[in-house]
Amino acid sequence: MAVKKSGKMVNLSGIKGDIRYGDLYKPGGKVRKRREWRGVKDTLYDYSRWLGIMMTLGKFVAKPRNVKAMFRYRWMANYLAVPMMVDRHTQGLRGEYLRMCHTEQDLIIIDVAKLLDNLFRGDRRIGNDKEFSDKVVLVDENEMTAVMMGFPTLKGLSRETPSTYVSVLLNQHAAEHYIDVAQEYGLAGDVCPMPEAEAGVSIDDDAPVLGKCAIQCNTTCDGSLLGNGVISRRLEKEDGIPVFQLPAPLRHREDDVQEYAAEEIRRAIKFIEEQTGEKWDWDYYFECARRVNVATRCRNEWLDMNKTAYPQVFGSNLALYTETNYMAICGKVPEFEKADRRLMKLAEKAYRKQKMAAREYRHRTIVWGVQSHFYMDFLVWLLNCWGIVPLTDMLSMINTEMIAETDTPENREQAYYDMAWLTENMIMRNRTHGGYRVLLDELFEFVEEFDADMIILWEHITCKALDGMHGLFEEKARERGIPLIWVDHQLFDPRVISRQGVRDQINTYMRTVMQEEPLDPTLEILEDDNSW
Amino acid sequence: MKKAGKALLYLLLCCTGLFVVTFVIYFFNLDMKLTSKIEPLLLKHYDRIERDQHL
Repeated sequence: MAVKKSGKMVNLSGIKGDIRYGDLYKPGGKVRKRREWRGVKDTLYDYSRWLGIMMTLGKFVAKPRNVKAMFRYRWMANYLAVPMMVDRHTQGLRGEYLRMCHTEQDLIIIDVAKLLDNLFRGDRRIGNDKEFSDKVVLVDENEMTAVMMGFPTLKGLSRETPSTYVSVLLNQHAAEHYIDVAQEYGLAGDVCPMPEAEAGVSIDDDAPVLGKCAIQCNTTCDGSLLGNGVISRRLEKEDGIPVFQLPAPLRHREDDVQEYAAEEIRRAIKFIEEQTGEKWDWDYYFECARRVNVATRCRNEWLDMNKTAYPQVFGSNLALYTETNYMAICGKVPEFEKADRRLMKLAEKAYRKQKMAAREYRHRTIVWGVQSHFYMDFLVWLLNCWGIVPLTDMLSMINTEMIAETDTPENREQAYYDMAWLTENMIMRNRTHGGYRVLLDELFEFVEEFDADMIILWEHITCKALDGMHGLFEEKARERGIPLIWVDHQLFDPRVISRQGVRDQINTYMRTVMQEEPLDPTLEILEDDNSW
Repeated sequence: MKKAGKALLYLLLCCTGLFVVTFVIYFFNLDMKLTSKIEPLLLKHYDRIERDQHL
C-alpha cells in the first residue's frame, strides 16, 4: 500500500515548562497530582483564569436554590470537576493557544452556570418561580435553537445539556447510572447511549420540571427518537407541558425538501406563540442572524488557516466551542460574538508569527465520525502524544453559508428557509444523515483541501448511521493511499471501551503501521479509568 | 503619612498572603483533591432520595 508521508514540522521556539504530561497523572487516581508548569507568564495567566472560574462557581453556590439543587440532582455532583475539565483541555497549551482555550471554556462555564441557575429558578421542586417558568421553552440538547431567535422575552432552556451532555465532559462516568436505569426499564442497550442516558434522567425522576412548552427535534438517530418519546410522555402526561415535534428532513441537501422544512419551522414558531402568548420579533431575529453570520465567518477563516502549514484554531479549541456556539447559542448571546472576535485576533496573531501549538507536528489529520464524548480531550492527547494535528473534525464541519441578516419583506420569508437550513444542518445530523455524499465523499474532499496525510475515524459502536459505511471508508482510503485509523468507542460509556482502550488503538497503529515513536512517551499508557 | 504607609504594607502583606495560599491550592490541585473526596458522599446521599422512578 502506498502511504503518503508528510514532512514533520519542528517548533523552534520550544515549549516552556512541563513537557512530560503523563507524569502529572496519579495512577488510578481521580484527579492529577498537580497542575502544569507552563513557564512563569503562562502559569500566572492560567492561575488567574482558575481564580476566575472559582469566582463563577462561588457566585453560583452563593444562591441557596442552587445548593438545594446540588443535593437533589445526582448529575450535579459532576460539576465538582469543572476546573479539572479546563485543565484537561489546556494540557500542553501555551501562549495564544492557552488564551484561546480559556476564552472559550471560561465563557462556556459562565453560560452553563446561567443555564443551571435559570433551570433551578423555574424548577417546580427547587425555585418554583411560576412567572419565570411560563417564559421558558424547553429544547433538546442536540437541537438547533434557531426557532428561539425571534423571542427575546422567552428563555429556550435545555435540561439535557447540563444533566448529560456537559456532565460527561466533566466526568467520564457521569452517564453510567442513567444508562443503567434506562436499560433496567427495558430500553434497548444497543442504541446510542446519549439519548438513552437522557431518557434515563427522565425515568429516574432526575430532570428539573419547568417550562410552558417544549420543542423536540428528530435529531440524529433511532436512539434519539426513542429518548424523545420517553421524555415527552412524562412532560405531556404528568407535568402538563405540551411538546412540539420538529421533524427536519433527513435528505437535507435536496432542494425539494426545503419548502417542507421551512413550513415545519413556521409551525414550531406558531406553536410557541400560541403556548406562551409571545409574538415573534423580527428585529431580534435579524440581530441574532447577524451574530450567527459573525460566528460563521470566523469559523470559515479558522478553517482556512487550518488548510495552511500553520493551523491555529483546531482540536478541542475548535470542536467544543463550535458545538456550543453554533447550536445552543445560535446568535442569541452577545458575549459569544465578543469571544469570536477575540479568538480571531489571537489566531491571526499566532498565524502571523507562524506559531505552533506543540513541539512537533508530524501528521495532519481529519477526525471524522462522532467523537467519544467521555474523552473529548483526546484531540489534545493526539497532539501531545504523537504530534498528530487534528485540523478539523466532523462535528465542526457544519454550515458555511451566510443567512439573511437585514430586515426586508423578502428576507422575512427567506428567514424561515435559513432557520430550516440551520436546523437541518445541526451538528452531527448534517453528516450522519443526508446520504453518502455528506458523510463519505466530502470527507475525502476535505482531506485534499486541508492537505491531510491521515484520517482518524471514530467508530461509535452503536451509531448505525456511520457503521454501515465502514467498508466504503476503507475502500476510498485504500484507493488514495491515505492511512485511516479506526477508533472504536461507546460515546457516553467508558465501561465498554475505556479511554486507554481508545488510546491503544492509536498507539498500536502508530507503532506497527507507521513505525513511529511517541513525542511524549509518558502519555502513551495512562491509568485513568477512575479519573473524572 | 506613617499610618498610610503601614496600611499599604498590611494591604501588600495580605495580598501576598492571599496570592501564596491560592497559588499553592491552584498548583498542587488541592481544590480538585478536596472535591474528589466530597463526590462519594454526595453519591451516597443521592441513593437515599425517594424518587418516582418509572417509564
